[in-house]
Amino acid sequence: MMDEEIKVFADARPAAPSYGGEARERARRRLMAEAGRRRTFPLLGGATGARRFLGWQAVGAFAVTVALVGGVTVAVGSQGGPASVAGPASRPESAVVARSGDFPELEPKPGQFLLFESTTMYTSEGDGEIWLYRTNRKMWRPVHGGTSGLLEIEWLEPRPYPGQTVPEVAKEDAEVTSHYEIKGYCPGAPEEVRRDYAYLSTLPADAGEMRAFLYRQPHGDDGDDDAYAFDALNELFRESYMPRAQREAAFEAGRTIPGVTVAQDVEDAAGRKGIALGREQHGLLTQLIFDPETFDFLGERGTVTGTVTPPAPVGSTLALTAQTGVTVVDALPEDVTDVNPDGSCDPAGGTREPVG
Amino acid sequence: MASARALLDGAAMDDSSLIERSLAEPELFAVLFDRHSDEIFRYTARRLGAEIAEDAVADVFLIAFRRRHRYDAARADARPWLYGIATNVVAQNRRAERRRNRAMARIAPDRPGSFDERSAERVTAERLQPRLARILLGLSAAERDLLLLVAWAELTYEDAAQALGIPIGTVRSRLHRVRAKVRRALGGADPFDPDA
Repeated sequence: MMDEEIKVFADARPAAPSYGGEARERARRRLMAEAGRRRTFPLLGGATGARRFLGWQAVGAFAVTVALVGGVTVAVGSQGGPASVAGPASRPESAVVARSGDFPELEPKPGQFLLFESTTMYTSEGDGEIWLYRTNRKMWRPVHGGTSGLLEIEWLEPRPYPGQTVPEVAKEDAEVTSHYEIKGYCPGAPEEVRRDYAYLSTLPADAGEMRAFLYRQPHGDDGDDDAYAFDALNELFRESYMPRAQREAAFEAGRTIPGVTVAQDVEDAAGRKGIALGREQHGLLTQLIFDPETFDFLGERGTVTGTVTPPAPVGSTLALTAQTGVTVVDALPEDVTDVNPDGSCDPAGGTREPVG
Repeated sequence: MASARALLDGAAMDDSSLIERSLAEPELFAVLFDRHSDEIFRYTARRLGAEIAEDAVADVFLIAFRRRHRYDAARADARPWLYGIATNVVAQNRRAERRRNRAMARIAPDRPGSFDERSAERVTAERLQPRLARILLGLSAAERDLLLLVAWAELTYEDAAQALGIPIGTVRSRLHRVRAKVRRALGGADPFDPDA
């Protein structure tokens, strides 16, 4: 019988692709070549033993193709003001258009991608240490979720957790950029977990129905349905885009979740002020910040309001993000190499024998 | 090349006999590869991502091949031994693993994996996945290795002890610590969770 705490990890075991095709054949051939060498030249075995075989990388396991072609680019500005958010250097300034009250909504089409650019800071733990890790993220999410997108993470210099120093383990990622394939929704998955625009634009524009949708999201059974609904609200907005009617309905729905408070002039990581829906849990107030005119998601902020572990002063910021741009583009970027494939739509794979 | 006959013979042997025979007939080791490489790959891919795992698994079997003369012939099943080597190879790639966990901790759960065995429990686990990724990040390397060998590779405590080269008493006490940490993190006292 597996302990409950371990079972929760076993049940959440990520799907993994099977070891098929070319990579497996290559590994087997290499092993057989080594075996053949050992048989023929046993005295040279020590020499080959020290050799590390490099360059077996999969060829074209996930080919990211076609250039980023500018569509409409929108930097989410605050309260109709100018787009003061500095985008990444690669984004042409001329393409940055402030969203204002009369600016047309994005109308992405199937086949296109929504590019979300954000800067994030959250707590991270490793090797018994804790620190605040920071990233710049770009997510290319397909407008219709049947195809793959891409996530680029640039790891920035970490910051110390309040009252602590930055541990060595936190520094290893700084200035590294990683790429991850992001699968669209998996065939057979329930509709309500989709986050692609094609699906989100079909969600109810009525706040009551949207509220029911938030509570319908797959969630834990520990009875804290309101906390899960608030999580669902966060995930509905973070790195996703909906038409205004759905955004407004979701905002209104979120406001009615028990425990949610509304605050004005809450600042995101880019210094933009917006209206925030906040909820306290375990000594931390998580606020989702929105443009009050357009209900665009600006970012999130996590502020210590009570007892947290390790202790941090009330008022400390443990999470701070800004979604600095939402752009419609025609294609994924070119010249991206070393993309980590996403096997999460593959069958869990293999037979699973019960343990113990 | 190994003869077809030798490979056929090998297919009928347990791992221990196979490894022993491969000292004289190295090509027989391919039978061990065919028998276990899928499983080792899936475990490694879960920890490192599929692309890195392709290289890592090739390394695992090369290392195993070179160390086969040291294999304990009393152990009929070579899986714990291979998982032990895989754990060391994963350790060499720990940086990639950590980055992957951190990336996954912030992805909306719209790719919940296989649904053919969908159940309430599974839904719960899927919903918790970003949190679990964060909890994994909070464990020490030794704790994480052990937890995942038991939870993902489904090794028994005895097999996990063998894979990690530690006494079974250490497995139990280490898992006890892991359970306490997981309980604390899941049981409503996860102060680090900005989503909570």
